[in-house]
Amino acid sequence: MFTYTVRRLLLAIPTLLFISLIIFLLLDLAPGDPTAQLPLTIPPEVREKIRESLGLGQPVYVRYLLWLKQFLVAEPLHVFDTMFGTGFADGMQRVISWQTRSPVADIIAQRMPQTLWVVGLSYVIGTLIALPIGIISAYRQYSWFDQIGALVSMIGYSVPTFFTGVLLIVVFAVNLGWFPSIYDTTHVVDSWDAFVFQVRQMAMPVFVLALYNAAQISRFMRASMLDNLAQDYVRTARAKGMSEKVVVLLHVLRNSMIPVVTVIALGVPTIFGGAIITEQVFKVNGLGQLLITAIYANDIPMVQTLTFIFAVLIVLFNLIADVLYGMLDPRIRYD
Amino acid sequence: MRFRTALLGAVALTALTGAASAERGSDGQVNIIYWQAPSILNPFLSGGTKEVESASLVIEPLVRFDETGEMVPWLAESIPTVENGGVAEDLTKITWTLKEGVLWSDGTPLTAEDAVFTWEYCTHPEGGCAQSSYFDGVSSVVAVDDRTIEVNFAAPKPFPYTAFVGSESPIIQKAQFADCLGAKAPECTEANFAPIGTGPFVVTDFRPNDVVQFAANENFREAGKPAFATVLFKGGGDATAAARSVMETGEFDYAWNLQIDPNVLSSMEAKGLGKVVTAFATSVERIHVNQTDPNPSLGAERATLAHPHPFLTDPTIGQALSMAIDRSLIADVGYGAGGQPTCNVLPAPAAYASTANDGCLVQDIEGAKKLLDDAGWVPGPDGVRVKDGVRLSLTYQTSTNAVRQDTQALVKQWWSEIGVETELRNIDASVFFGGDPGSPDTFQKFYADVEMYTNNFAGVDPEAYMANWRCSEIPSPETQWQGSNMQRFCSEEYDALVDKMSQTANLEERGALAKQMNDMLMQSYSIIPLIHRGNPSAHAVTLEGVRMNDWDSEIWNIKDWSRAK
Amino acid sequence: MLDMSDARKLVEIRGLKMHFPIFSGLLRRQSGAVKAVDDVSFTIYEGETLGLVGESGCGKSTCGRAVLRLYDVTEGSIRIDGVEIAQADPAQLRGLRPTMQMVFQDPQASLNPRMTLASIIGEPLDEHTKLGKAEKLNRVYELMDAVGLNRAFAHRYPHEFSGGQRQRIGIARALALQPKFIVCDEPIAALDVSIQAQVVNLLEKLQDEFGLTYLFISHDLSMVRHIADRVAVMYLGKIVETAPREALYAAPAHPYTRALLSAVPEPDPRREARKDRIILKGDVPSPANPPKGCNFCTRCPEVMEICREAEPDTFEVTPGQFVACHLYAQTNSEQTAGQAAATEAHKSIQQGD
Repeated sequence: MFTYTVRRLLLAIPTLLFISLIIFLLLDLAPGDPTAQLPLTIPPEVREKIRESLGLGQPVYVRYLLWLKQFLVAEPLHVFDTMFGTGFADGMQRVISWQTRSPVADIIAQRMPQTLWVVGLSYVIGTLIALPIGIISAYRQYSWFDQIGALVSMIGYSVPTFFTGVLLIVVFAVNLGWFPSIYDTTHVVDSWDAFVFQVRQMAMPVFVLALYNAAQISRFMRASMLDNLAQDYVRTARAKGMSEKVVVLLHVLRNSMIPVVTVIALGVPTIFGGAIITEQVFKVNGLGQLLITAIYANDIPMVQTLTFIFAVLIVLFNLIADVLYGMLDPRIRYD
Repeated sequence: MRFRTALLGAVALTALTGAASAERGSDGQVNIIYWQAPSILNPFLSGGTKEVESASLVIEPLVRFDETGEMVPWLAESIPTVENGGVAEDLTKITWTLKEGVLWSDGTPLTAEDAVFTWEYCTHPEGGCAQSSYFDGVSSVVAVDDRTIEVNFAAPKPFPYTAFVGSESPIIQKAQFADCLGAKAPECTEANFAPIGTGPFVVTDFRPNDVVQFAANENFREAGKPAFATVLFKGGGDATAAARSVMETGEFDYAWNLQIDPNVLSSMEAKGLGKVVTAFATSVERIHVNQTDPNPSLGAERATLAHPHPFLTDPTIGQALSMAIDRSLIADVGYGAGGQPTCNVLPAPAAYASTANDGCLVQDIEGAKKLLDDAGWVPGPDGVRVKDGVRLSLTYQTSTNAVRQDTQALVKQWWSEIGVETELRNIDASVFFGGDPGSPDTFQKFYADVEMYTNNFAGVDPEAYMANWRCSEIPSPETQWQGSNMQRFCSEEYDALVDKMSQTANLEERGALAKQMNDMLMQSYSIIPLIHRGNPSAHAVTLEGVRMNDWDSEIWNIKDWSRAK
Repeated sequence: MLDMSDARKLVEIRGLKMHFPIFSGLLRRQSGAVKAVDDVSFTIYEGETLGLVGESGCGKSTCGRAVLRLYDVTEGSIRIDGVEIAQADPAQLRGLRPTMQMVFQDPQASLNPRMTLASIIGEPLDEHTKLGKAEKLNRVYELMDAVGLNRAFAHRYPHEFSGGQRQRIGIARALALQPKFIVCDEPIAALDVSIQAQVVNLLEKLQDEFGLTYLFISHDLSMVRHIADRVAVMYLGKIVETAPREALYAAPAHPYTRALLSAVPEPDPRREARKDRIILKGDVPSPANPPKGCNFCTRCPEVMEICREAEPDTFEVTPGQFVACHLYAQTNSEQTAGQAAATEAHKSIQQGD
């Protein structure tokens, strides 16, 4: 397993370099101009100077190599410096956002908490809801519980979050006034009341996303449980005289979790990708909103860095999913 | 400390004006939502409205414009003119005097050196300063003494109120930005995110594209102001959500730029929590009529002066197109409180607005038909008018935007009624306005017969704006398609008026010239103005003191805002 | 041949029905039932092996599972070791599991892939005994010895074994609680021919060693002939003939049994050539919609009018050989009184439940 993991990690390096090049070229070839969002009152000569100051005058390969150096050398060294108080990265140019003229990594770090809180929590909650629903739906296939579960999953999966989000805002924020419609990213949880407020402001976005996640995962769980419930070893377990609880929760669930765990692991990078629409609807301003505003503003270093980080996470979690599969299923050996 | 300052302020105020005022910071927090969040608080490095206006709480110019477009001395003691000797007779120098005792929020005094430094900062060749046009023609800025700033111009400057005037040309602190000149400008993240200013608030926390928190500036020069202790300046979401947060949920006190469906806006307002306010400045939604031929078969010479347009150079056609349009209906459908019909490309300030063209306010389909009939354009078998084998068939392009597409559809209908065929196109705004010389779809290249968008000018002086339509401003391959004369209007007479205005200092004469130029453009029908666009914003009914302004930052007078008791 | 009168009845099945409901339509209402096992009765005596044969889909596996109450049966009585379990609740059943066990057809699928051999065999011990950890492992080793598995394999996973070894694991697991009665559900069907004999021999060896009683379900008539003492033949959810092995193979009474036996390949090519093969025409009808009258009437080579009208009664044609066929109804009146009485008794048992 260890050599397999190492081999996969080594193979990931050329893959990721290739991905970064493709992203860079795509962004470079895409029409658009970082000064396009500026008011028309700013004259073209000034725009040209702004473009030059952003380094757009240089050829593509120079800019690509520069970005690689900044991302792969300057940024890690900077992290090292802040952790150990050294000065290796002094004088090294970091990846700078064109919109904010500040290091991209700092902004990403700043956005991480709200994204992890809202999107991450909704993923955890969605998963926690989905597993029992999937288990019960499969165990009581075609019961009213299963039918309702199927209906809710269908709604959660097919109704877009910008619709459910706005609906929730209109009902719970505008008409009932229970929850705020705008997420306060500056809120600090330092007391019980502050915690209650945090829960209130997270309630709606987390619900919307959790519904979506739960819909997906509960269907997977159900399908996997049904697959396993029909297996002979379940009958064996019953014939052994094991209790239903042991049969379902130990024998069936443990085997059913194998594909579900990998699906869950593969979904983790999407957390870091944020939920572009939901963040926008509830003004959570996490990584998703960061990406979309960067795209609108043609902030290429930001878009490049974010998409590349997502690519790294996707490659990484694919590997994690594979390794987990190998650990959970004794039939699979990678050596 | 705070109490003592407030007390001192109160004493000072009583002494100076004799009027009692509320205590500084006594009204708690004011929540402002700009659904496009600021990326940076240094307007010199961005130039976007969101950055300029959020920074206007902190850094200030010498003079601001009020809601009528009049100049108000801000950091300057008074407005220099030729009459009071502040402007040199030969129009090459203006001398400003700073108010006495103005302090930066860090407690150090504001001096003329800061203004000199600001000029150096923004005109540095490697700095990419977005506001450098405010220093156009400035040959030097000199600190005569601590409070006297001399701005010298290379040539006579009849309207010298550009440098350090208005929200886009504020003064930054030399001490803070000294190491941030030129290429180093982006490296000063701390300064760019929290500039030290003389304004009513100081930045306490800045999160790019998300939220800014401000607190009252303890060193603010006006006693007892601002009334609010803190400002939460939130970004993100969309205009509808921002409007909702002020007028339906009451979470926010002020929402900016609410260009949404006018019906939605008025139904929200009906809830009674908030109020929509609109400021009209110089934005005009207009149709540019291409004077050159955009036919693709012309290759590299497409849409250049070498090939005049087959029929649009004839003002009769443009006039008929203009007469066929019902501007009031467009305003009702697409703009609501945010727009009113106009017949001028220069609709404001009042001193510059012409009334000569107001006939266009009434739709006249029959008149338009008659014009075309008289000019010899007769309807062909498909209803499209033809003359000498040329069909009145147009390509009509604009940026992708729901209101613009509605307008396009309406205009297409009216034009078809007078026998003009229209093909509609819409292009993503970032491409259309992107100015990429490699793209065929930019508004500068104008590979279409007519195109529609909004333009405006900042400040109150139309000189530079009217100069947009000089012959030399025509975008062409030779200029890498740069230039602002989109419709390729070219008239020696017009150019002469532009030159004349650049040598006239008297404000009344300048007004007459501007009107004359506006009328020339209008009567050439190379521009068909449609809507004078205002900027609707909304504020909570409990928020007092909002003086909606489109000549400066919308929140220019936040120091005077307070909470209704 | 066992002396039936002396032997104790270990398993008694009377009128067992296992119907699976069919749901259809928008509201998923029950619209019918698959009659997988329809009114089946038989008895297994202690220490004997009853072979249950029939084509695929005839309901023999369902019958085996229903007997062990792996399903909730629709109707009927199941007495195992004197205890009526047909309607027993899950808790009661669990207490009874040690008595009755099952060996499954697919040794791969019937073993939990995520459990090691030791935990598969040892799990029933956790549930039903209070053995310590070491004792348990010891017991697992003993069982592995009994079925001929190397003790070193105790901590391996099922996928690491061959088919024959897996079936040995399945058998060891079934033996763990020292059951009296084991249902072997096609235990050799999934195995190579070379391995089949080994497993069957192992089952016979274990029967002698532990005094086990088997219900041996198979479609392989020659293997059943090898292992079973008595044989029951099933067709479409019903038992058509029950007989001692020798009687059945020598003189099959039911037309279906005859057809089945004629299909068994002969090792001797000369006899094979002379053999008169009965070819059945048509397909087995759907158990959801069995034909009226005798279930076999659609394919029976000797079908009569009455077969399409009425279900046949069961007749004892020779001692111990019971047949459900109208062919024997005509001769019924000529039979000896004793035989008639036996049949009568059999019928009364059938009806009495």
